[in-house]
Amino acid sequence: MKKFFNEFLRGIAKENPTFVLVLGLCPTLAVSVSVINGIGMGIAATFVLLGSNIIVAVIKNSIPQRIRIPCYIVVIATFVTVTEMLMKAYSPALDRSLGIYVPLIVVNCMVLGRAEAYASKNTVMNSFFDGLGMGVGFTLALILISGIREALGAGTILGHRLFASFEPAFILGMPSGALLVIGLLLGFFNVLKGRKA
Amino acid sequence: MKEMVRYGFILALICTIASGLLAGMNLLTKARINAQAQDEEEASLKEVLPQGERFEAVRAEEEVLYYKVYDKSGKFVAVAFKASGKGYSSVIESMVGMNKDGVINAIKILSQNETPGLGAKVVEPGFVLGFSNKNLSQLDNIQAITGATISSGAVIDSVKKRAEEIKGII
Repeated sequence: MKKFFNEFLRGIAKENPTFVLVLGLCPTLAVSVSVINGIGMGIAATFVLLGSNIIVAVIKNSIPQRIRIPCYIVVIATFVTVTEMLMKAYSPALDRSLGIYVPLIVVNCMVLGRAEAYASKNTVMNSFFDGLGMGVGFTLALILISGIREALGAGTILGHRLFASFEPAFILGMPSGALLVIGLLLGFFNVLKGRKA
Repeated sequence: MKEMVRYGFILALICTIASGLLAGMNLLTKARINAQAQDEEEASLKEVLPQGERFEAVRAEEEVLYYKVYDKSGKFVAVAFKASGKGYSSVIESMVGMNKDGVINAIKILSQNETPGLGAKVVEPGFVLGFSNKNLSQLDNIQAITGATISSGAVIDSVKKRAEEIKGII
């Protein structure tokens, strides 16, 4: 059990997809304008990761080495489409605000990266916990980034006004703000890591 | 050659299973997705024309052109329609409620993905309420949001353009 727990934790801290592996930054930059978008994107990506990791781990032995990538993509695309349908059916508002970035999870290199680097070489249980950990790590990173951007860029958190009189720094809501925040956070975590080592 | 056939077969098998799954999923969610869209449409109609009792869709080739709105006594009092225009970073779609005489009753922004803190303010009452009780020629005087001229303009122009079109056909 402890082993699984470690698999899970790895994705959150030591190999955080956003801050350590630096994978899947495109959707991170694009959707992190508001916390609700960040949470929605995180949950959607976690679901896809879990599904694709499990299926890839199950079928890994029956897939020839040379066509593994197209096979993984089909698996991932299937889960993404399922996610999109569920989102449209049960949370249309979120679906609209995430827009094109839900279907684009297909090409999120974090998902394919885990299928290729982990699930295709490990057991189903391990892959499940790896997917869960990576997904939660991705979600937490998104919440952190979008929290900073929404609070300072629009003066709100989850749509609630934070300060009575505060002129928000609009640049943080713009694409350039996303790059700034992610860059500074990455630098900050690298300094922390350097201290520990 | 033999290998290639085998690869093709495996890929085809995976794709078949995947499309089967998706077809099933589509069957399960389709009704709900349509119902959701319907519910939202009705809620927004009620919002822009609270006095309306019955909304009757006027269609042209399956597509809803506008809604005829009848009040409690069954009298035709207003129309409601959707307008959409390209804003700064997204298409802004709004529902417009217009009285029979061409005065806007209210509008509601249905979807937008503008810059938070700037263009996204088009959904706020401060901007949207500016449309109430304006006739079409007064729409140009609506105060744009500071720093979000493009988003504001997109809403104003799209509403005005659609309103003129609809006014011509009712």
